[in-house]
Amino acid sequence: MWHERDGCERFDELISFYLPDSIKTAVRGIKREYLIELEELRIRAGQPLMGVFAGFDRYIGRDGFLSDNPQFGLIVSPKEVDNLFMLLCEHSVYAYQDDISRGFITLKGGHRAGICGTVIYEGNNIRGMKDISSVNIRFSRQIKDCARDVFGHIVRNKQDIYNTLILSPPRCGKTTLLRDLCRMVSSGTGTSFKGLRTAVIDERSELAASYRGVPQNDLGPRTDVLDGCRKSEGIEIMLRGMAPQVIVVDELGATRDPDAIKMAWNAGVRIIATAHAYGLDDFKRRLGIGQLAAKDGFERIILLGMDNGKRWVRVMDAYGNELSGLVKIDRLSDGIRGLYGIRDEAVGKAGRETACLIKTHGDPA
Amino acid sequence: MEILLNLKNQICSLGVPLYAAFEEIGTEGTGGLWSEIFLRCSQVMKEQRMDAGSAWKKAISENRGLLPLESSDWDSIDDFGELLGKSDRYNQEAVLDMARESIAVLEKKAEEAVRTKGKLYRNLGALCGAAVVILLI
Repeated sequence: MWHERDGCERFDELISFYLPDSIKTAVRGIKREYLIELEELRIRAGQPLMGVFAGFDRYIGRDGFLSDNPQFGLIVSPKEVDNLFMLLCEHSVYAYQDDISRGFITLKGGHRAGICGTVIYEGNNIRGMKDISSVNIRFSRQIKDCARDVFGHIVRNKQDIYNTLILSPPRCGKTTLLRDLCRMVSSGTGTSFKGLRTAVIDERSELAASYRGVPQNDLGPRTDVLDGCRKSEGIEIMLRGMAPQVIVVDELGATRDPDAIKMAWNAGVRIIATAHAYGLDDFKRRLGIGQLAAKDGFERIILLGMDNGKRWVRVMDAYGNELSGLVKIDRLSDGIRGLYGIRDEAVGKAGRETACLIKTHGDPA
Repeated sequence: MEILLNLKNQICSLGVPLYAAFEEIGTEGTGGLWSEIFLRCSQVMKEQRMDAGSAWKKAISENRGLLPLESSDWDSIDDFGELLGKSDRYNQEAVLDMARESIAVLEKKAEEAVRTKGKLYRNLGALCGAAVVILLI
C-alpha cells in the first residue's frame, strides 16, 4: 500500500511527468486496488505493456485492463519506447550519460528506470547506450516505520548501535528495511535513543534516490549521502570528510568491500549493511565478505524472508542465537492478497515466493 | 557566438539538461531578443515535455517577425535545435561546433550584404550580423 502511505504524489508525478500518452492512459486506467500494488512497469519495443504487481506480472491493456493473455496488452511501438527514453532523460541524453552507462536512470520522486539497448563502448568502458529497446520503471517505495519492530534489537545504548547486517534473497525488502533503519538511526527515537551522524554510500542511488543531488527519500536529519560512489571508495571519503558515527551501505559483495568495512570499524564507526544471502551460513561461505560475519564482525544479523505470503524477519546475534523470535512485518506490503482473488491465490503465492520462500524456508540459521 | 559558447559549457562541461541551460542563457539576458527566445524555448520544453528541436521551432516561429533575417537564414536557424539533447556530451560538442560554423557563415553573409547593398542596408545588416553573432556565440 505504498502509494497510500508515502508515494501517492510521487507516483502521480511520475505518471504525468515521464510517461508517453498511450502508456499514461493505460496505467491511469488500472483499477485503484491493483494500482496500489504496482511495483514495476515493463515496457519493451514491439511487446505488450506489462506490470509487475507485488511479485508477479500481468499485461496491461490500453484502458488499464489487466490480463495474463498478451493479446489484451497494449503493444508498445519502438518509437514510443524511444519517446519514453527521451522523456526519462528530459530530452537531454548527455545529462544522464553516466547513469545510462550504468544501465539505469534515477527519476524525480526516487523512481528508477532500468534501460536496455545497444551498448556503446569506448575502449574497455561503456560510454552509453543507443537504440533503447526495453525500459523497466521501478517505483520507489519508502515505507516509514517498517523497521520499528527490529530497531530496538540493533540499539546498544542510547548513543550507540550494533554493527548490523541484513540478509535476504532478492525482493524481500532489504533495501526498504535498511532505508528505514537509516532514518531511525539518524532521527533518533526521543530520549531512549539519540540520533547519530549517519553517512550513506548510495552506490546504486536506491537508498536516497537522489535526483539532481536532492535525496527523494527521507533518510533522517543527520544523514549525509554520497551518491553513485563505489562502497569501498565512499567509505574512505566519508571517514575522511564527514566524521560519521554510522555508515550505511547496500548490497555488500565487491571484493574490496570487506577491507573498507574493516577500515570503518577500525575508525570506531558502526556499519549497517545488506547482502544477498539465503541465511547466515550462506553468507559466511561467501569468499571475502563472509569473514565479516565472523567473531568481531557484524554483531546483529537481520534475516528477511517470506512464508505463506507474509514477510517475516528474524534478528540474531553474531553466533546465530535468535533475539527476536519470528516477527511478521505487516508494514511491508504483502500485495498479493489485495490484488488477487481466491482463484489466483495459489498462482500469486507461487510468483511472490519464488525468490524468497523456497530458499529461506527451513534455513538452518 | 557568446551564447553558443555558454551553451557548450552548460552541456559539455556541466551536463545541465537543455531546458535548464536555455533558461540560464535566457536569464542572463545578454542576447537581446535571442535571450527571450531561449527563455521561451526552456518554458515550452518544461511545460509541454517537448524535445529541443520542436520547442526551438515553436519559440522561433513566435518571434520570426521581430528579427530582420532572410528566409534562407531562417532555415539554418530553425534546424539549430534539431540535434540538441539527442546524444552524449562528445557528440553534442560536435553538434555545437557545427552550429557555430554555420552561424559564422551567416555572419559572413550578413557582412557581405552590408558591403554590397550599401548604406541603405548598413543598419539592417549590422543588426542582423549582431543578432547572428549573439546567437552563435
